Amino acid sequence: MNKLANLKNIARAAGLGSAALALISASPALAKDLNALIWCDHADPALLQPFEEANGIKVNVKEFEGTGAGLAIVEQSQPGDWDVMVIDSIDIPRGVEKGLFEPLPEDQLPFGDLFAEVKMDGATMVDGKRYGITEKFGYNTIGFNNTKVDPADMQSMASLTDDKYMGRIAIYDYYLPVIGMAAMSIGKKTAELTEADLPAIKDVLLKMKANAKLVGEVVASQTALATGEVDILVGGGEWVTAGLAKENPALDFSIPQEGAVLWSQSLAMFADSENKEMALKFIQYIMSPEGQARLATSSCYWGMPANTKAALSDDEKKALRFDEQPEFLARAQSYPSPDADLDKKMQDVWTEMLQAQ
Amino acid sequence: MLPFVAMGVLSFMQHGGDGSASFDNYRQFFDNPSYWRAMVNSLEVTLTVTAISVLLAYPFAWILAEVVPLRLQRLALMLAVLPFWTSYVVRSYSWLLVLSENGVVNKALTGSGLLSDPVQLANSRAGTVIGFVHFFVMLLTLTIFANLKQLSPSYRKAAADLGAGPLRTFLHVILPLTLPGIMVGAFLTFVLCIGDYITPQILGGNNELLMPQLIMMQIGRRGDFPLASALAIILMVVVTIAYLFCARWLKLERS
Amino acid sequence: MRVLGKLLVAIYGLAVYAFIFLPVVVLVLFSLQATSFPIPPFTGPSLRWYEAVLGDTRLTSALVNSVMVAVISSALAVGLGFLSAWGFARYHLPRAALLRGLITLPLTVSYLIIGMGILILFNTAGIPKSLAAAGIGHVVINLPLCFAIIYSQMGDNQVNLERAARDLGAPEWKVLFLISVPVMWPAIFASFFLSMTFSWDEFVISFLLTRFDTTLPVEIWNLLRSGLNPRTNAIGSLVFGVSVVLAILFELILLRRNRA
Repeated sequence: MNKLANLKNIARAAGLGSAALALISASPALAKDLNALIWCDHADPALLQPFEEANGIKVNVKEFEGTGAGLAIVEQSQPGDWDVMVIDSIDIPRGVEKGLFEPLPEDQLPFGDLFAEVKMDGATMVDGKRYGITEKFGYNTIGFNNTKVDPADMQSMASLTDDKYMGRIAIYDYYLPVIGMAAMSIGKKTAELTEADLPAIKDVLLKMKANAKLVGEVVASQTALATGEVDILVGGGEWVTAGLAKENPALDFSIPQEGAVLWSQSLAMFADSENKEMALKFIQYIMSPEGQARLATSSCYWGMPANTKAALSDDEKKALRFDEQPEFLARAQSYPSPDADLDKKMQDVWTEMLQAQ
Repeated sequence: MLPFVAMGVLSFMQHGGDGSASFDNYRQFFDNPSYWRAMVNSLEVTLTVTAISVLLAYPFAWILAEVVPLRLQRLALMLAVLPFWTSYVVRSYSWLLVLSENGVVNKALTGSGLLSDPVQLANSRAGTVIGFVHFFVMLLTLTIFANLKQLSPSYRKAAADLGAGPLRTFLHVILPLTLPGIMVGAFLTFVLCIGDYITPQILGGNNELLMPQLIMMQIGRRGDFPLASALAIILMVVVTIAYLFCARWLKLERS
Repeated sequence: MRVLGKLLVAIYGLAVYAFIFLPVVVLVLFSLQATSFPIPPFTGPSLRWYEAVLGDTRLTSALVNSVMVAVISSALAVGLGFLSAWGFARYHLPRAALLRGLITLPLTVSYLIIGMGILILFNTAGIPKSLAAAGIGHVVINLPLCFAIIYSQMGDNQVNLERAARDLGAPEWKVLFLISVPVMWPAIFASFFLSMTFSWDEFVISFLLTRFDTTLPVEIWNLLRSGLNPRTNAIGSLVFGVSVVLAILFELILLRRNRA
């Protein structure tokens, strides 16, 4: 009797609750929706609304960070759940390997208008087929406050390990680009890194760490730079400073003589998308001069448009240093793209650097 | 239960491997000193936080339960909980501003002449601990308060009738009787604190890594779920040991 | 001596409140920032960020979603937690210790693992991602918490009261609702508020188990990708303001009823 009463109560509570939960969740996605797995810069209504209005379609977006997390979301979804994805250009082969992506029709996309250096054929093409198109790029380099440091010092990576800037440095917490910068500072090419280079790279990283006040992701390092807690951000670039240029013109970036690490993001289409026509239209829109300008100046972060014809205003071009790109690109090196084994070892070096006191 | 079994199996696999089982992921943890260090850091931070939180929360809970008039108690409790209804992440960033070199705390300390130079609170272990203590003082206050209210006033009367002073009553009657509440709160603090990623990530400045950060790092770009699972299981074992420790204490008090 | 003691008590109480409120005051202050970066110096006051938040349908609908998920999942978790604690405390179940261990097990695992587990489970079962799924996830994480708090507070006091009621002929459901629940109110109250607080702020599970309709922490996380933004402060302050109003209303209603 007692137990029965107990059970009934549980049943009643559970029944009521799940009915209510079912009610709130009963808003099925419309068949005409476009489902996009994206980075935060694509969630800006200023970017999406013109496309939605022109095509009478709703773009549903889910934001993620990190290729591992993105691919895990895809793997834990039903086929057809997603139509397009934003991904690090260098990670496109990982998606292709898993059979996720659909080849893109090159003749229907403005490949001819892209900055030649960012087409990244080595990563976006697999077995002669094009699986991704670079939409936005920029540099992991030295970001700084030009009223607090000597801008001439920022032309050399040696300053980052110099006592002069002790305790005034923040390091961006992402191992690939910063390891790339460390490699360049000792004259190595990011594309040719091997395990044998890691000890020397580790030395540089440990020296940087000894100079650094913190190692932080975007918000923490940006806050530190903006509050004056630090004056230099290793791994920063236009993606940190350009969007703030209007409010805080002192924040600047340089491409030192050793060069900088080129980051680049691409769009890819899913092979099991049920809405490929619309997916292609979306990619075409993002790659158009108007779409490119809106993406480059998105509220989340700014970056260089991949399309040379992007319709940017003069002020925007100035903040992004649009006209200096040929010179920057000539000095920049690609993101390190290690194989799985070296990737793990690089991350372990990074872990060791973080743990160093 | 299924999630745990799946995780257990996964932890013996290799990232990108052929599905054969091995102890490699566990061996990595024991072989790599910087992984070890994460566990040591986690334990140090968590124990510090738990101890400070209990010490701060107990008197506060006692004030709420005994000094604040009965009809204002619920209001007082709510006041203590309300600040936690702002977003955790946003609140943590607020702490970052409060603790930073040009923040309120440092301005107050240097301005009042207590310190000549600002101390580094943000982006350090101190920052992580302060951020944690903030949350867990509230949590412990709630559990200890609930416990204090459960005590029948007759205990105290009886102790007083037997000639015990307030201090002895507290030490010999009230404190032992509220031990279950303290232990539950402390255990919750321990568990939630050791598993939390956000506070150390935002306030610690990555000058050292704690276990959850190490686990998240394996997933972020490389998607190495097997290694992440193995690390999570090691963390779980530590928490289970803590649980057994607390459970023994609770039982002792019951008998 | 007496006065000094009282003074110390008052100072201590106020100091703890000050500590608890410190970041919130800063949070609210910078939500009124006029420029687009919430760092000193203060440039406000301005309400532009509140306008931005209220005009953003993604944020407002996420706010509503969060309230629903938090209230419903907490009520479920407290209800189930109370009943199971009551069951364990009152009846001798076979292997009670083992069962108790199993109930509290999710406490020892990080939310990420629980979220991944539920995700894999639902995905194999073909249950689509939704707010309801996230709600179930929250019940899973909060149930052990409610159980632990309520169970630890079930002492001999209540058993005696319940026995007395039963001896006077009260049926079991009356004992439960008229004796056990009222006597246990501090614990129930504490666990409900803790559950609400956790569910309200939970990110990982909501992120994994929802698709496009999502909860506030996920939207805030999205906002924060771009760096600090007074809009996030404005949301935090709005939520804070709404909960203060609700708490005061709640208190007034209770006070009035108590007097009547």
